[in-house]
Amino acid sequence: MPAVIDAKKCNGCKLCDLYCPLDVIHMEGKLAVVRYPEECWHCGACRQECARGAISFTFPWAMLAA
Amino acid sequence: MRKRHNVEADVAIIGGGTAGLNSAMAAAEAGCSVLVVDKANIVRSGAIAGGIDHFFAYMDTGEPWDTREAYLGWAGRVARGAADLEVQEAVYCDELKAALERVERIGVSLRQPDGKVFRTAALGQPGPYAINFDGKLLKPKMAMEVKRRKCKVVNRVQVTKLYLHDGHFAGLTGFNIRNGDFYRIRAKAIVIATGNTNRMFNAQVGNPFNLWYCPANTGDLHRAAFDAGVALANMEYVRMTIVPKGFSAPGFNAFFGMGAQLVNSLGEPFVQNYHEMGNKAPRNWVVWGALQELKAGRGPIYMDCRHLKAKELEHLFFTLGIDKDTLPEFFRARGYAKDGAMIEMTVSEPMQARPSELCGSGIRIDKTCASNVPGIFAAGDASDQMGCLHMATAGGFAAGKHAAAYAKKRVSLLPLDSKAAEEEEDRVFRPLGRKAGISYREFETIVRAVCTDHFGPVKTEVSLKAALDKLGRLDAARGDLRADNMHELMRTHEAMNIHAVSKISATAALERRESRFIPYHYRADYPQTDDANYCGLVVIQEQPDGGITTRLDKLRYAA
Ligand SMILES: Cc1cc2nc3c(=O)[nH]c(=O)nc-3n(C[C@H](O)[C@H](O)[C@H](O)COP(=O)(O)OP(=O)(O)OC[C@H]3O[C@@H](n4cnc5c(N)ncnc54)[C@H](O)[C@@H]3O)c2cc1C
Repeated sequence: MPAVIDAKKCNGCKLCDLYCPLDVIHMEGKLAVVRYPEECWHCGACRQECARGAISFTFPWAMLAA
Repeated sequence: MRKRHNVEADVAIIGGGTAGLNSAMAAAEAGCSVLVVDKANIVRSGAIAGGIDHFFAYMDTGEPWDTREAYLGWAGRVARGAADLEVQEAVYCDELKAALERVERIGVSLRQPDGKVFRTAALGQPGPYAINFDGKLLKPKMAMEVKRRKCKVVNRVQVTKLYLHDGHFAGLTGFNIRNGDFYRIRAKAIVIATGNTNRMFNAQVGNPFNLWYCPANTGDLHRAAFDAGVALANMEYVRMTIVPKGFSAPGFNAFFGMGAQLVNSLGEPFVQNYHEMGNKAPRNWVVWGALQELKAGRGPIYMDCRHLKAKELEHLFFTLGIDKDTLPEFFRARGYAKDGAMIEMTVSEPMQARPSELCGSGIRIDKTCASNVPGIFAAGDASDQMGCLHMATAGGFAAGKHAAAYAKKRVSLLPLDSKAAEEEEDRVFRPLGRKAGISYREFETIVRAVCTDHFGPVKTEVSLKAALDKLGRLDAARGDLRADNMHELMRTHEAMNIHAVSKISATAALERRESRFIPYHYRADYPQTDDANYCGLVVIQEQPDGGITTRLDKLRYAA
């Protein structure tokens, strides 16, 4: 999982959904969800926009162990 | 239910990235009504969505290397055969001072916290041209400026087709990637600024979105412009860089600018063996050296930062995190400590893009950023003469000015062919209706396999013809592409565009029977550079009868 959204911190402001340049994050009800994790570019735009600090990044094994 | 929208403007900008937003500012300043169309949201779209850290500029400080002439000398040396210096003077040099002022005026300082300008040298530069700065907020600030100048913005609309009327630009159509609304847009002039083409070659850890450049840029308008008879140039080059193993992220200029060096697994610095400037050589030579070392079995290769002073390391790692927001935690996750860092590196995926920082790859533009089709202008990575932040900023503005001047001379909007637009609407949404068929993932994987096998990057006449044959056979699969939702529909069109651009690139590469910017255009059957016959641009174009022609536009340089 690249961008990871902490559902407990997300307040549903939609900014990450709005600004993700790859259309990877979609609102599902009141929560932002990383719907296409494999298409994340790891640009960090969502995290920079998130006022709640709800977004962090984890790197898949392929990136860490290659 | 999908809605239809008809929109009009004097100047339409396609792609609200770095170049497009500067074009919009210029066209608005000239008094035109401006519409920016982007498939993402211009606040955070394209290459610099997450930040940017270097701006190349000469600053006339009195140093011999810090002048327009010295800069053009550098361009003539390192981008020979691809950079048209007359165009460079007009779109970059003439616009540079205003571009630097504009960046600062919209609220992004080009200075360090101590108020000083800090510049570093790499990439074959005769002196330190790279202004190091904190460009994390450059994109949102440019977007604010465009809105302040009352430009209309249509976000999340993927443009798929351009329309002409009597040989002149008339309009474009696109669809909203979330709700499927269909847009018919008429404008007097257009600036195409949609970046380069990515996802065309296999990526290092297999994920086609783990790329150096923005995976949302998929040559959509290279393809659409080509279909409309727009000539393209520098399309044969495949660009690569040196990236951290596991994460295709930028950093080349930051590392080498601060004095880091590449070493092989024997601990030997090796780039000097391939170019006299060593780690400060033009990018293609560093990549070439790395490929040779890896091929010879002297990998892994490392970015050796051990000799850097604590303050230099501090600056380097700060800068790396500006250019790629998530790179610092990637380094931490891989266990690299800042001091004593030996970071394993590799060669990135190839992509369709400029062979040098001093030119572009795409729509052939003249000194006024105009293409061969009246009313169609281009800027940034989508053009054949601009690349990087410095040219996207300066040249983007130039393109907007010229598009506005053209628009002002046109009395009225031209009609957009209704029948053609209806056909396009049918074509665009057709994959949504298919119950069975091939997914964009599978289709793209095949394109990537063919491109990687046959020109990623080394190529010969036989390999290019094999690629064209296989890519041609894939034409039949386009009619089987199936999308289950709007997101997949966007990706499906991207996949078809990547496929189309790969054919254009291979066709252009066949014509250049020499090697240049190795390995970006390395013809194993013509391994030498042949300035007598090939110092210039391979220009590729679709003619009205559907035939594809190429020609060589020769370029001249002072000795
Ligand atoms: C991570 C990174 C760091 C970099 N760092 C530096 C640096 O420090 N210094 C430097 O000089 N250069 C740097 N570069 C290069 C530089 O950022 C680019 O050359 C420059 O930003 C390109 O601007 P552009 O406007 O041509 O493309 P982009 O800014 O990528 O804009 C293209 C836009 O077109 C939109 N688009 C694409 N297709 C369509 C379509 N079909 N319909 C509608 N819209 C579409 C995209 O959403 C995007 O907004 C970096 C590049 C990257 C990726």
